[in-house]
Amino acid sequence: MRRLRHYARLLAVQMRTSLTLAVQYRFDFFLEGALALFWLAITLIPLLVVYSRRESVAGWSFPEALVVVGWFSVLKSVLDGGVTPSLNFVVEGVRKGTLDFVLLKPADAQFLVSTARFEPWRILDFLGSIAVLVYAFHRLGHAPRAGDLMVGLALFGVALILLYSLWILVVSVSFRVVKVDNLSYLFISIFDAGRWPIDVFKGALRLIFTVVFPLALMTTYPAQALLGKLTSAHALLAGTGGLAFAAIARFVWKRALRAYTSASS
Amino acid sequence: MIRARKLCKTYRVHRRPPGLLEALRSVVRRRYEEVRALCDVSFDIAPGERVGFLGPNGAGKTTALKILSGLLYPTSGSVTVGDFVPQDRRTEFLHMITLVMGQKQQLLWDLPPAETFAMNRALFDLPRDEADATQKELVDLLEIGPLIGKPTRQLSLGERMKCELVAALLHRPRVLFLDEPTIGLDVSMQARVRDFIRRYNESTGATVLLTSHYMEDVAALCPRVIVIDKGHLVYDGDLRTLARRIRPEKRITMHFSSLPAPGELDRLGNCVARSELQATLAVPAAQVTEAVRAALGRLPISDISVEDPPLEEIMQEFLGGQPANGGVRSA
Repeated sequence: MRRLRHYARLLAVQMRTSLTLAVQYRFDFFLEGALALFWLAITLIPLLVVYSRRESVAGWSFPEALVVVGWFSVLKSVLDGGVTPSLNFVVEGVRKGTLDFVLLKPADAQFLVSTARFEPWRILDFLGSIAVLVYAFHRLGHAPRAGDLMVGLALFGVALILLYSLWILVVSVSFRVVKVDNLSYLFISIFDAGRWPIDVFKGALRLIFTVVFPLALMTTYPAQALLGKLTSAHALLAGTGGLAFAAIARFVWKRALRAYTSASS
Repeated sequence: MIRARKLCKTYRVHRRPPGLLEALRSVVRRRYEEVRALCDVSFDIAPGERVGFLGPNGAGKTTALKILSGLLYPTSGSVTVGDFVPQDRRTEFLHMITLVMGQKQQLLWDLPPAETFAMNRALFDLPRDEADATQKELVDLLEIGPLIGKPTRQLSLGERMKCELVAALLHRPRVLFLDEPTIGLDVSMQARVRDFIRRYNESTGATVLLTSHYMEDVAALCPRVIVIDKGHLVYDGDLRTLARRIRPEKRITMHFSSLPAPGELDRLGNCVARSELQATLAVPAAQVTEAVRAALGRLPISDISVEDPPLEEIMQEFLGGQPANGGVRSA
């Protein structure tokens, strides 16, 4: 219990520090906020272009696809606000050797690096994405059923675990190869494919996006759950997949720490 | 307190000759080389001791400190600090130690040091009043009260190092690993940091392990030194004993009121430095009294002093001509 309280306090302190850092430079704070909203608007453009010419893509109508995009944007705002800043923090720490100080603290290193940095203005992005979701259901003419919403929220948790586990795997690679800036770009670029329902992809790509880089589990399945279209088998697959990825990530992280070479003085 | 047995650490490093062609070739085929940073290093350090790690750049000093603090895994050999294996990173162990690195900082660059202190207080789960009392004590000792509210990036190097020390000592560690804590500081700041470390050691009984570019740091702080050269431990013991063994002589520095007669100096001893009205002689320790008496009788002396040879010189000779710790001398 004491341990839990310690970690809760740590999380609060890390978030407070990120907020203090964010407001330290006022101009930057407002600029980032405005940019967040701009990028959300940009996200919608490809969808609007495609659906201006046809009624449905791979069985998905415009409002249904909009649910996927909304969901994707919610996840992306979490990624940009809560995951990528910490990723950059670790990658830089590995390269410069300042990760030493993290490893010398009496708390779980994975927890510390995962909560190292947040970008608070991404909350705007998050709220904007929720607005897109609400608009999509408005276009559909009905709200998600309570049961579907519950499954959707549970899958949101699974999606976060998946996203986070994939990110830990990327960071673990940085312990070995040191410079992974491009790897994080690759990660973000692949994640971008999650804005499309999985049915849009065919063959190997579909398999990869379901099992290797489980975009389907992250965006399509939760969106299907909200739309009341997800089978319980798929929900189970998503849950199991999330747990499996988390276990693999933790294992790889522990192994990777051993390979940390620090940087010379 | 610290026990190292047959410690070895090997790094695998990518090597290639200079030039674009070689760089392109290394993209396809990489050549790796094994570099032995430490080789069969064993030592024991008792609680409360102050020990200096000496050796040329790249000798393996920092690697040793990083293994002792649990950051690096030794390739072979064993190490314990207190009752702990550092690499296990046990909470009790991490509460017991600290590592200060002169070349890296834990202070948050854009925020005042007080924010880092608050963060460390949470990380080490320190009771607020206890942490506040320690912080106040350290801040007063280092005289940095007005600084801890200023953004770190606006502080000078010396001011930052003092704040680093507060951040590193807030949890009152019993073992201090200090990797070049005075690097880049001016002479008076070096002396104050040294003085602070000694006072901390004396008041808390903490064990101190120090590497430094400045021989004065080591001479002033550490009665015992461990010399590492090319990964091997080449000396472990008293610094003065080492000095006497390598250079069993004293330096007599004389200032003259007028030019001494030619040949007089050479009769007294080996002249190692000479300018018009000043000369330094190297004289065997046993003959110092006699040499001083003779000098005072025969030469127009306005001032005279007897000292040990500079430590840098001793280390240089000991390590076979390599400058000790990069050969950087403090002014």
